Amino acid sequence: MKGLRVAALLTASALPAATSMAEEIPVTMAGMAYAPATIAAKIGDNLALSNDDSEDHNVFVATVGHAVDLGTQKPGEARKLALAKAGRFEVECVIHPEMKAIVEVQQ
Amino acid sequence: MRRQLIVALAAGAAVAVAAPLFATPDRVKLPEAYKTDFVLYNHVDRPDRKRVRFMYVNPEAHAIAEPGKVLPEGTVLVMEDHEAAVSADGNLVLDKDGRLAPTDALTGLFVMEKRAGFGAANDLPPEKDNGDWDYAAYKADGSPNTEAKLENCFACHMSRSGRDFTFTYFKNVEDGLPK
Ligand code: HEC
Ligand SMILES: [Cu+2]
Repeated sequence: MKGLRVAALLTASALPAATSMAEEIPVTMAGMAYAPATIAAKIGDNLALSNDDSEDHNVFVATVGHAVDLGTQKPGEARKLALAKAGRFEVECVIHPEMKAIVEVQQ
Repeated sequence: MRRQLIVALAAGAAVAVAAPLFATPDRVKLPEAYKTDFVLYNHVDRPDRKRVRFMYVNPEAHAIAEPGKVLPEGTVLVMEDHEAAVSADGNLVLDKDGRLAPTDALTGLFVMEKRAGFGAANDLPPEKDNGDWDYAAYKADGSPNTEAKLENCFACHMSRSGRDFTFTYFKNVEDGLPK
């Protein structure tokens, strides 16, 4: 009983340490281009996607297993994409087919 | 007087002809057995709307769709929207891969279908010309969604003219979807 309690406390205290290593990777959109356009990340990281451009953008991933649509972001708006799964996927924009970034998430 | 009437009639006729005939649920049906017969090829999380969208393709088209080629005539794509699970504190529930957890609550259905002749019948301006694709929207109970602004389907899907007007399927085939 007492042993169990200690174990629970240990895992709980281990968590914050693990998450503090997670990085927030800024991605910008000025001039209708994602920057950086190639992103190496690890599980637990976040993409912080901010629309620092003068028109609307809409972050979208079609890759199977990673597919997500973050909705329209007006100039000045920021959204987060949590990277919880290893793999490689492309970030697109619903509105501008030429906007692309490649993300590689490692364990 | 007589002449005026004729002009008015002619104008009326012109309006009737110009009114686009696109995207009628009469033309693009909701395939009855899509849940059992179609191939579920992808699902897209929409955290902004607290939805998960499931993507289906008809097996006949999927069997012959090839990377880099325009999609076969007769391709039917169905997108099925579900509510995502939300915890008691109002946050979206995530699985171990960070994906949303779909519930059984269906919120709506979207269909796009490619048939020879649809494009000519649609007669849309170049900025909305989606080739031989046509679109329809249905409510969760399968009845036509008469509130859907179908012209917007064409306008937005236009941005993917380079991959046969689809956001997911063409790219997923190119990436190597299992047959
Ligand atoms: C504002 C842009 C926009 C509009 C308007 C729009 N769509 Fe889409 N559609 C998308 C995006 C983006 C996807 C991929 C899923 C996602 O990101 O939500 C998609 C996916 C689909 C798919 C799945 C196949 C594919 O292309 O990936 C179907 C079917 C579909 N839409 C039908 C419709 C219909 C029917 C309408 C009109 C009632 C419509 N869409 C209106 C943007 C749009
Ligand atoms: Cu954009």
